[in-house]
Amino acid sequence: MAVLDRPAGAERPHLVASPSGTGREASQVPDRILMKGNEAIAEAAIAAGCDAYFGYPITPQAELLEWMARRMPEEGRVFIQAESELGAINMALGASAAGARVLVSSSSPGISLMAETMSYMAGSRLPCVVVNVMRGGPGLGSIGAAQGDYLQATKGHGHGDYRVPVLAPSSIAEAIELVRDAFIIAERYRTPVMILADGLLGQAMEPVSPAFRDLEPRADDWVLEGAAGREPRSIRSLHLRAEDLERQDNDLQATYRRIVDAEVRWAGEELENAEVVLVAYGTAARVARTAVERARADGLRVGLFRPITLWPFPAGALREAALGARGVVVVELSAGQLVEDVRLAVEGTVPVFLHGRMGGMIPTPDEVVGAARAAWSRTDPVPRTPRGRNGEDGR
Amino acid sequence: MAMSAPLVDAPFRRLPGGTPSFRPVLVAVERCKGCALCIDVCGPGALVLDTGQVNAMGHHPVQLVDADACTSCAKCARMCPDAALTIFARPKGA
Amino acid sequence: MTASATPPVEGRTIYRRPSLLSNPTSYCPGCGHGIVHRLIAEVLEELDLGGRTILVGSVGCAVFAYDFLRLDAVESPHGRAAAVATGVKRFRPDRVVFTYQGDGDLAAIGTAEIVHAAARGERFTVIFVNNGIYGMTGGQMAPTTLVGQRTTSSRTGRDIATTGYPLPMTEMLSLLSGVQYAARVSVGDPGLVGKAKQAIRRACEIQLDGNGLSLVEVLSTCPVGWGMTPSEAMERLRGEVVDAYPIGTFVDRPRGIAQRLPQPGPATRSVSEGF
Repeated sequence: MAVLDRPAGAERPHLVASPSGTGREASQVPDRILMKGNEAIAEAAIAAGCDAYFGYPITPQAELLEWMARRMPEEGRVFIQAESELGAINMALGASAAGARVLVSSSSPGISLMAETMSYMAGSRLPCVVVNVMRGGPGLGSIGAAQGDYLQATKGHGHGDYRVPVLAPSSIAEAIELVRDAFIIAERYRTPVMILADGLLGQAMEPVSPAFRDLEPRADDWVLEGAAGREPRSIRSLHLRAEDLERQDNDLQATYRRIVDAEVRWAGEELENAEVVLVAYGTAARVARTAVERARADGLRVGLFRPITLWPFPAGALREAALGARGVVVVELSAGQLVEDVRLAVEGTVPVFLHGRMGGMIPTPDEVVGAARAAWSRTDPVPRTPRGRNGEDGR
Repeated sequence: MAMSAPLVDAPFRRLPGGTPSFRPVLVAVERCKGCALCIDVCGPGALVLDTGQVNAMGHHPVQLVDADACTSCAKCARMCPDAALTIFARPKGA
Repeated sequence: MTASATPPVEGRTIYRRPSLLSNPTSYCPGCGHGIVHRLIAEVLEELDLGGRTILVGSVGCAVFAYDFLRLDAVESPHGRAAAVATGVKRFRPDRVVFTYQGDGDLAAIGTAEIVHAAARGERFTVIFVNNGIYGMTGGQMAPTTLVGQRTTSSRTGRDIATTGYPLPMTEMLSLLSGVQYAARVSVGDPGLVGKAKQAIRRACEIQLDGNGLSLVEVLSTCPVGWGMTPSEAMERLRGEVVDAYPIGTFVDRPRGIAQRLPQPGPATRSVSEGF
């Protein structure tokens, strides 16, 4: 599947790669319209057959809720502005248990409130898509774009041994695709899935193709609808006997291994002969991409490795992409969260540096070029090793 | 409130000599927790805990000791938290 | 027993266990939960609703309710049953949905969810079992614990100065227009149990009307938590507890029973004039 996610007139479009079987190839770019990120995500969910939306207003994603407030009743579907994010995520739990395709959205503090129930949904094997339009933190923080919830998202949000797949769009067009993919993954593996966006993506407007894709409805044989004519079903995460819970947990872990094997996604640019590899996702990746262009124009061989699934993290692909580089610079809007997974992935084979901004601040491309230069000068040359792929394929 | 399906064999058992004896209360011994709420509400005092018996849960189950005094009012069954009691109406002549 | 040649005379069954009750319960001897489960099973069976009912469970002693009732059921995080039920009922409005919650779940951690479900007039039924204590976790004080009552977290008795007053949930919720039916009942004796069953039945009928929330608060016992025998606990329920929580029907809108909210009037104006 490929989407165009650069505004018209850009010299070099950026193609997004996903595993086969999750979409159709776009043979040519159709007509485009200008859409706000929050609204595009909402409309993509509607097109993908979202039956129910529950949310609570919080900046910078209130427009998503407002779009749903108008559109869901038009489609005869369920919309509730809940009394809190606690209410919203729990309504989602109930609706999903009853068979609904559910979307919930919030921003960082609201996601914190949802953590307990996400743990319940993971343990109860309930599909759901949760959108986090990240803002500055900790605490009430700011309303600007940030990436300070990476650890929260990738390490599970709540208590217990679970993870959720995390998809990180870096453009509005990509977000539209990932919404549908998120529902597919959620239902294929019976798990909550998170879309990790940020305030800039939510608030910005970009030209997008309005051909939102649909999705077959849920067809599960375990949902609750009344036990007429069969044994009753219960959906629960409580397994009091230790042997029972361990068995359930092992099943969950086995599912996670399947997800790790099949659902990793990433994209790369100019990695072939890169001496410095930038690693970034979301809005930080857009800045990094421009930094790659400027650095290259200046004679510095820089490339970009962009994880699209933050969990499962494309560790193997990153390690391979960084093999011939002098250094890796992680660019993120945080004090250093993605960088931990990067260090784990490369396992000491290449020096890793961090360029982080917080509070809603977004680095300029020149800042990032500067960080790449600094990494270059602080590291030793590496013998060049021939490498074939530019990372279009996702493994 | 009445359950209309008749249970044919339950309310009667044969005493030695063949005389049928009507027993208006059937106790599910393994469900009874010996809480004695039924005993509290039984007007005729027809129920007692069977201290000679201990069920698998470790309780003394209740037993009907005075079948003739029982009027099938079913207050015991309506108090029972464990739905351990089945009540039958006394047929004419029984 | 020797087999008899004469077939026995059939005795009409006055009462038998409802078929919607499944396994023997793990509740303590004499616990009111067992009675309430039984009443729910009886009502659903009599109205033939069991096959299209979805139970929304909660956290507390009754977390295991799905093991004792033959119903499709979903577990809720503590306090959130009213929100979970909202999600279920909004997506499947033609099913009968009810929550089953205790003191902590509804009156402590779940107050926001029940207030807003009631305010929105969500069309499900809430069964609120009030035994004035947190049984599952060992007998701590609940928002419904009576003044002076000893619990493991109010060892010298609930003290107004530090822990305030018990919460009258049904009174509070009955002020909301989205509530179509609100009643408080007790399981203190067979007559009261019969009235409790009528209230649960009425609540189901109201849900089938589809115009708003139906709530039944059931005053119940916790013999172990109260440190009493089941008989003593029932006696306390008939005395001190029902004195603190009056039983009756607070709201039955189709039958014209509702609570009048205070209206602005001379009394209010004179208060403001005093400033």
